[in-house]
Amino acid sequence: MGETALDAAIVGIGTSRFGHGLPESQLKLAAIAFKNALADAGLERADVDGLSIHLGWPLGPDYDRVAEAFGLDIRYVNQSWLHGRFITNALQHAALAVSAGLADVVACVTAVSFTRERGFLGGPGDVEGNREEGGTHGEAPPYGLTAPAGGAAIAMQRYMHVYGATSAQLAAVPIAMRKHAVKNPAAIMRKPLTLEAHQASRMVVDPLRLYDCCLISDGAAVVLIARGERARDLKQKPVRIAGMQGTRAGREEFIFALRGLGINQQSVTRTAARAIDTEVFAKAAVTHADVHGFYTYDAFSPLVLFALERFGYCGPGEAAAFVQDGRIELGGALPVNTSGGLLSEAHVAGWNSICEMVRQLRGTAGATQIPGAQVLHWGTPWGDAVMLTCT
Amino acid sequence: MTTYAKPRPTIGPDNAPFWQGCRAHRLLVPFCQTCGKAHLPPGPVCPFCFADDIEWRPASGRGRISTWTRVHKAWFPAFADEVPYTVVQVELDEGPRLTSRLVGARDGEIAIGHRVEAVFTDIDDELTLHGFRIVAE
Repeated sequence: MGETALDAAIVGIGTSRFGHGLPESQLKLAAIAFKNALADAGLERADVDGLSIHLGWPLGPDYDRVAEAFGLDIRYVNQSWLHGRFITNALQHAALAVSAGLADVVACVTAVSFTRERGFLGGPGDVEGNREEGGTHGEAPPYGLTAPAGGAAIAMQRYMHVYGATSAQLAAVPIAMRKHAVKNPAAIMRKPLTLEAHQASRMVVDPLRLYDCCLISDGAAVVLIARGERARDLKQKPVRIAGMQGTRAGREEFIFALRGLGINQQSVTRTAARAIDTEVFAKAAVTHADVHGFYTYDAFSPLVLFALERFGYCGPGEAAAFVQDGRIELGGALPVNTSGGLLSEAHVAGWNSICEMVRQLRGTAGATQIPGAQVLHWGTPWGDAVMLTCT
Repeated sequence: MTTYAKPRPTIGPDNAPFWQGCRAHRLLVPFCQTCGKAHLPPGPVCPFCFADDIEWRPASGRGRISTWTRVHKAWFPAFADEVPYTVVQVELDEGPRLTSRLVGARDGEIAIGHRVEAVFTDIDDELTLHGFRIVAE
């Protein structure tokens, strides 16, 4: 028995509009994105025989309702609920499914109606955070740490203590995201952000200020995955999933902190990224120098620092300095989240950035195009990753 | 009788002794009788050696602030009259960390590394919450 070779490409992308308080239901937003993805790929609804759902209870309809509502006939399903830590999981399972022949075309579906579900995000409706021993972002609701932002805050507070990083340095992250959003007509936040405005913005959960926290928005995205051979016959230039690495978990891990940072039950010994932390590079047969852009889950600005260190773009404690002087902006050495990310484009659970990566590799990103983009890295603060290429 | 509007802990078989300890104003921590290590959050087995023989023992109640945040936004309406308030993670002298409230500290006093000790607040007939206050070295 040989192992199943990874053979998957993104063949279509579609989004709804992004905004605050959109009148459409979550399922309607998903339907709009689904139709747009089919049109983008030149596929029919009947061609989709797999669903990898980044949706589902407790924040949306499950896979069976999606299939029923859209009139699909499905032979492969993967479902993870609408939570940032399962973005890559949904994409990876789609890639594995087509590689293994479990489906010909898998639709990754996400849809977000956060403005209608605010109470879930750290409020009284948060069934996740109220479980025994709290939520995944360190939520401890009886003690008033109730929202995902709290997890990023306790991690950044310690990071600042250990490395001397400052809020003014951190501001480079949301400022860069905003610069990208200003160039992106689909982005929600299109007014430039200054360091002064960042520093003057209200403290939300110390050290995170208002502009360190992502948008609470509505929108949907659908990404269609097929095998390479099928992809070559379709309308768009295929974007190959060249390598992947999976989600990390254990007592050394906290989704919003680096290993060894001393949050929750982590040790207090940081080390530079090891080979196993960056295995996606070897799996995709590329090096850091080959990567034209980095894309990550920027729900809170510290997460960008943590992701850059986790994947070895800089050493332990170096990211706050690394992001200065435009290095992560368009035109810089390593552009990050070129459509504006969750901080300034929209919180479509990161799929807005996945769609942007596809546009970049097709060469159709317009005002945010990275010249000659051929290798792009999606890597999350909790350590999973996908390398996308157009070669 | 006024109803306590803040979220209550979810209590199950693995963590019930912890909350019973709080009722008695004692910080109890699960220790593994095989490898001797303490762990938190309370689990069904020892996460270090995977043994089942867990024994709940009183902890010293003392530790150090390992990280903290000051919460300025009231995600829960019930916390609105308290913001801003300080949440800490405390590394107990026994090793594991837990999340709690810092009580009685003034702005500017909070820092990673400060020595703290546990205090207890009776909420009602069923629930007592722990907190920590800064103490001298």
